[in-house]
Amino acid sequence: MTAMSPRKVWAGSEGCQTWDNLTLIFTNLIIPLRIRSRVVMTPVPMEIFMDPEKLGINFDHIWQKTLTVLNPLKPADGSIMNETDLAGPILFCVALGATLLLAGKVQFGYIYGMSAIGCLGIYALLNLMSSSGVSYGCVASVLGYCLLPMVILSGGAVFFSLQGTIGTVLALVIIVWCSLSASKIFISALDMEGQQLLVAYPCALLYGLFALLTVF
Amino acid sequence: MATTATPAGGSRNGTGPEWGGFEENIQGGGSAVIDMENMDDTSGSSFEDMGELHQRLREEEVDADAAAAEEEDGEFLGMKGFKGQLSRQVADQMWQAGKRQASRAFSLYANIDILRPYFDVEPAQVRSRLLESMIPIKMVNFPQKIAGELYGPLMLVFTLVAILLHGMKTSDTIIREGTLMGTAIGTCFGYWLGVSSFIYFLAYLCNAQITMLQMLALLGYGLFGHCIVLLITYNIHLHALFYLFWLLVGGLSTLRMVAVLVSRTVGPTQRLLLCGTLAALHMLFLLYLHFAYHKVVEGILDTLEGPNIPPMQRVPRDIPAVLPAARLPATVLNTTVKAIEVTLRSH
Repeated sequence: MTAMSPRKVWAGSEGCQTWDNLTLIFTNLIIPLRIRSRVVMTPVPMEIFMDPEKLGINFDHIWQKTLTVLNPLKPADGSIMNETDLAGPILFCVALGATLLLAGKVQFGYIYGMSAIGCLGIYALLNLMSSSGVSYGCVASVLGYCLLPMVILSGGAVFFSLQGTIGTVLALVIIVWCSLSASKIFISALDMEGQQLLVAYPCALLYGLFALLTVF
Repeated sequence: MATTATPAGGSRNGTGPEWGGFEENIQGGGSAVIDMENMDDTSGSSFEDMGELHQRLREEEVDADAAAAEEEDGEFLGMKGFKGQLSRQVADQMWQAGKRQASRAFSLYANIDILRPYFDVEPAQVRSRLLESMIPIKMVNFPQKIAGELYGPLMLVFTLVAILLHGMKTSDTIIREGTLMGTAIGTCFGYWLGVSSFIYFLAYLCNAQITMLQMLALLGYGLFGHCIVLLITYNIHLHALFYLFWLLVGGLSTLRMVAVLVSRTVGPTQRLLLCGTLAALHMLFLLYLHFAYHKVVEGILDTLEGPNIPPMQRVPRDIPAVLPAARLPATVLNTTVKAIEVTLRSH
């Protein structure tokens, strides 16, 4: 029976006759019934965890977007924000929290709260200012990616205090860097030529809040 | 993957070759999703189709019987028969009407698009309006033009929030009842919305020609002066400098707003009431922001250093450098009161 056709097995179940019987029952009875009632479900084979592509995580795109953020002078491609990808932003938020933790500040809650509410505010503003609307996921994705320079700032805060003149100047530079990248991507994705400064300023205010969190 | 069709009603072995098609599709590609197009169940197993058809017909009969039986009972909230049916229909209609009204109201009021025209600005326009908000125009015979937009005022209010937060953080202000962020946002938005509404109400009483949107825009742009003064004086702790800026910059932006209102109001009493109220509130707000959210620590240090140092002499200094490692916790009110005490006692 087991040689009838190649069959994927769960790890640790090779050679078990009972398991083979159960698998047969499952594949021959239960799945067909579910298909007839149009419920599309199947047990997830182990291989899916070896292949993040299947989960929708495209590392190449994540890397492309990261490079776009790190170089604020490079013109952005408007189509890169067509897919809403939150894996990168969530990773950067956790990285910011982790670097703040290294500096002795446990402020994960503030980061998540400020990100959520800040994204909501920018989402409302961009919907009002752009002729075509924008989705919340797209806004969250762009703002999350542009948080990367702030992670670099908080990494620096681990080694030296930012509460002097140098720290203030560095924080200002990082805020300008983040907001320029974010506004550049928004402008190219939403086709809002000539309004980059108007979009950059609210982003700068948001990133300024994160900088306050990092510096103090 | 089509298997050969068996004749209708033909005999089949239970787990015969027809089932092989399903298995192949499940285990191919490692995908978690079955491609329904290829898995169409009319792929030759007509025996199953016949069985399913029969089952469905039987189920429909049962359902029809049950429905008929239920209708005969017609119970609805304890009322049987015709009354039950009628009440069910009425309840249904009310539910539908209510739902329709609610969705219409929601789409009308929660429609953010009604604010869209007020955010249609160019950077050059915003820049010029910011500069004009500091320049009073002495034209009182014709109504002065007010830009009816909300982007500039909203951004200025948020900037004021950020400056307040920065000031509170650098001076180690401790808010006992609430959070720093909540206090800052509440203060700034409360002032902008509350004073705008109050002045609009007074304008209505005094018969002034101004709309709520224009009042919001006017007061919002008037906060530009406040932002400048606070940005400078939160970092340079000289009281004389603050009073100078308060009069100059605060005064200029207040004069600008007063001139606009005077040009849109008729009658000396009404003008006096409206403009006096606005001027008082605007100037006092700046005074309040400076003294309430950036506590004066110099007062304590002056008393500690001894009586030789004249109390009113303030020097700009870097707070973290002077303070010892343990920060001095003190509430805002206590410190201000102590500073005033020291000043009074020395005279």
